[in-house]
Amino acid sequence: MATISSLSTHKDPVSTHDATPNITHQPVQVAKRLEKFKTTIFTQMSMLAIKHGAINLGQGFPNFDGPDFVKEAAIQAIKDGKNQYARGYGVPDFNNAIAARFKKDTGLVIDPEKEVTVTSGCTEAIAATMLGLINPGDEVILFAPFYDSYEATLSMAGAKVKCITLRPPDFAVPIDELKSTISKNTRAILINTPHNPTGKMFTREELNTIASLCIENDVLVFTDEVYDKLAFEMDHISMASLPGMYERTVTMNSLGKTFSLTGWKIGWAIAPPHLTWGVRQAHSFLTFATSTPMQYAATVALQAPDSYFAELKRDYMAKKAILMQGLKDVGFKVFPSSGTYFVVVDHTPFGLENDIAFCEYLIKEVGVVAIPTSVFYLNPEDGKNLVRFTFCKDEETLRSAVERMKEKLKKK
Amino acid sequence: MEGKLSSVAKNFTPSPIQELSQLAQRCNAINLAEGFPDFPAPPCIKEAAVSAINNDFNQYRHVQGICDQLALKMKKTHGLDVNPLTDIAICCGQSEAFAAAIFSIISQGDEVLLFDPCYETYEGCITLAGGIPVYVALEPPQWTLDPEKLMRSFTSRTKAIVLNSPHNPTGKVFSRDELEIIAEGCRRWDCVAITDEVYEYITYDNQKHETIAKLPGMQERTIITSSLSKTFSVTGWRIGWAIAPASAASAIQNIHIRITDSAPAPFQEAALTALRSPIEYFETLRGVGSGRMEYELKRDFCMKLLGSVGFRIQFKPQGSLFLFAELPKDCLLSDVEYVEELIKQAGVVVVPGRGFFHGNESCKYQKRYIRVAFCKSEATLNAAAQKFGELINAKACPKILY
Repeated sequence: MATISSLSTHKDPVSTHDATPNITHQPVQVAKRLEKFKTTIFTQMSMLAIKHGAINLGQGFPNFDGPDFVKEAAIQAIKDGKNQYARGYGVPDFNNAIAARFKKDTGLVIDPEKEVTVTSGCTEAIAATMLGLINPGDEVILFAPFYDSYEATLSMAGAKVKCITLRPPDFAVPIDELKSTISKNTRAILINTPHNPTGKMFTREELNTIASLCIENDVLVFTDEVYDKLAFEMDHISMASLPGMYERTVTMNSLGKTFSLTGWKIGWAIAPPHLTWGVRQAHSFLTFATSTPMQYAATVALQAPDSYFAELKRDYMAKKAILMQGLKDVGFKVFPSSGTYFVVVDHTPFGLENDIAFCEYLIKEVGVVAIPTSVFYLNPEDGKNLVRFTFCKDEETLRSAVERMKEKLKKK
Repeated sequence: MEGKLSSVAKNFTPSPIQELSQLAQRCNAINLAEGFPDFPAPPCIKEAAVSAINNDFNQYRHVQGICDQLALKMKKTHGLDVNPLTDIAICCGQSEAFAAAIFSIISQGDEVLLFDPCYETYEGCITLAGGIPVYVALEPPQWTLDPEKLMRSFTSRTKAIVLNSPHNPTGKVFSRDELEIIAEGCRRWDCVAITDEVYEYITYDNQKHETIAKLPGMQERTIITSSLSKTFSVTGWRIGWAIAPASAASAIQNIHIRITDSAPAPFQEAALTALRSPIEYFETLRGVGSGRMEYELKRDFCMKLLGSVGFRIQFKPQGSLFLFAELPKDCLLSDVEYVEELIKQAGVVVVPGRGFFHGNESCKYQKRYIRVAFCKSEATLNAAAQKFGELINAKACPKILY
C-alpha cells in the first residue's frame, strides 16, 4: 500500500503523471495524529498469555456468562425476526428503558427520543461524543490513568489533550492543578467513575468542585460510567445529577460490565438535545445503527429487579476479597479500590525495572496475566510502578492465580 | 448551546432516509424505502446465533474463522490472495469498516473522489476525518462514467476514491472497462480505492460483480469493505469487514478497536456459519436455480409497478436492491413532494433521490428521482401493487400521484 498518510507521503507531481503503475513498498504508515496507537497492550498481553498458558487477570471481561433471562431475550428477538437495521439512535423500547433506568439511578427525567443515543458499546459512545462535539484545537482535560480509547478518539477529533495525573495511594483529584489547568479555553473534561484502572470513585466533594469549575468556565463534561453498578465502597454519583450539570453533561454507559455481556456491544449516551444532536451525527457515520436483537435483550436487562444488581455486587465483593487478600499475601503493595472490577498494585517489591517488564515476567515465569498501566498515561513514566489486575473471573480462577504468584513470585 | 457543537457536526443534518422512515411509520405505510429485507434471515444462520448465545460466546471476541472464510472466498471468487492473519479487520458492520478505512487513510485536507449520486453517509465520514469530498457525476440516464471527467478530477491532493459497485442508489454495476479506467487513475495518481461491496452477491441478468482489487497493481492500493447484512438478510447484526494490504488492515484494526473495540460476539460466530454456506446459496441471490421470488423477479415486479403509474424507467438495475427511477417528465412535483403524496395517497413510502446527489453538476436533475427498495417479501410487494392499483382504478388515471 503506497499511501496511508498524506502527512508523511509527499507525492511527486512529475511522477504522478507517469502512466506506468507506481508500485512502491513503504513501511506501514497511518495518519500522523494516530501514529502512537498501534496494537493495544490488551491484544499484546492476551497473545502472550495464550502462548504461555497464563491465567488471564488482564483483560476486563468475565470468564463467566451473562444472566439467562437476558440471553433468552436475545434468542427470542432473533427468532422473532428482529434482525434488520434498528433505528439509528436506538429501538424505541430500548431508548425508553434507558430513560427509565436513568430516572431510577439519578432521579433525572429525560426524553428517550431526544436525549438518548444507542451506540455499539460505550467505546462508540465515547468516539461519537468526541467526534461530534469536539473541534480541532479544542482543549480537553483527561485524568490519567485513562482508557486508551479516550486519547485515540480525541486525536481523531484533533483535540488538544491536557492531562492531570491521579496519584496513589488514593488517586485523589489534585484540585489546585485542576484549577490552574481549566480555563475558558477548555471545551470539555472527561471523567470516568468508578475509574478504570484504579478503582477510584470520584467523591461528592470532588464532583462538586469540578462541576463549579465547569459552570464557571462553560465546560462540557463527558462521563464514562460503565462501572456504575460495580460501586462497592461508596455510592456512585452521576455528574449529570449535580445542580446545573445535566445541560452540559454527556453520560455514557453500557450493558457489558453490569450484565457480564461484554461481547454484545450495547452502549448509550445520554445528553440534552443540543448535545445529543452532535453525538448522533457522529454516530450515524461511525456505525449507523446498533445490533437490533441485542437492543431488545438489553431492554429486558435494564428492567432487571433490584435483586439482580444486589446479587451482582455481592458476587463481585467475594471475588474482590479473594484477589485483594491474595495480592497482599503475595507481597504487592495493594491500593484501595472502591469500584470497578480492577485493582492496581505496586509491583516494585519484586525488583523488575518497569510495569511492562514485570507483566512479561509474570506471564512467562509465573503464568498470570496483568496489564501494565503505563499505557494509561500520557507520560508512560507515571505508570511504570503500577500494574492492574481484574477480579471479573470465577473464584477458582482467582485462587489459582494467587497460588501461582505465591509460589513463584519472590521479593527482591 | 449550539455553539458547543463541533464544526463538523454543525454541517450535518439528519438523514432523509431515516426521517422519512419515521413519517412512514406514523402513517403505517408500506416500506419500500429502506434497504433491508422484511423477510426472515436464513434459519440456519439464526440458529447459529442462538447457539452462540447459549454456548456463552458473549464476551469480547475476535473470531479468526471469519477471516479464514473471507480469504477463501476472495481466492475463489476473485482469484485474490489475502492473508487471513494480517489483511482483514472485522468491524461493527460495513459502516464502521468504511469509517475506519477513511480514518486510516485520510488526513486533514486530503481530497477524496466520489461518484455522484452515492450513498449519503460517505461524505459525512470523509468530512469527519477532515477530508474534502470531490464529486464526479455519473451521467443519467445510464449513469455512465465519463473517463475524461474522472481523470480531470484527480489532483496531487487526491488521496482516495470511493467505489460502490453494485451501486446504491442506481443499481449500476461498474463494467470491467470502467473499472480499468478507475484503476488507471488510481495508479497514475497513486491513490487508494476504498470500495463498498455490500451488494457483491446481488447482481442480475447473469452479470457478476468484479472487485477493482483484482486489476493489475490494484490489490496493493485497494481497501474492500463489505458485510454480512445484504447477503444474508441480517442488516441488524452489524458484522462487516475491511480487506486490505496488511499495513492498511492493521491501521483499520487499530482504529476499529478505539471506535467500537469489537463486533457483536454471537453474530461473529453466526457469521462463520453464514460464510460457509454452500455456493448454491449465493447463486440463489442472483436468481440462479430457484423457484422462489428472488431479487431479480422482485426488481422486474417493481419496474412494472412503477410503469403502471406513469414512469418510463430508462435504467434497469444490474445489481443491488434498488430501483432509481426518474419521475415522469410531465410530473411537476419534486422528489420530496412526490414521496409525501405517495405516502398520503397510496400508503407506500420510497426515498426521495436528492439525498444521494451532491455535486453541482447534478443540480438539474437531483430533485427528479426516487429510490425504491425491492428487497421485500412477496406479500409486501403485492400489497404495494394493490395500493397502486386501487388508486388507478378509483380515478381511472395513472397520473394520480402528480
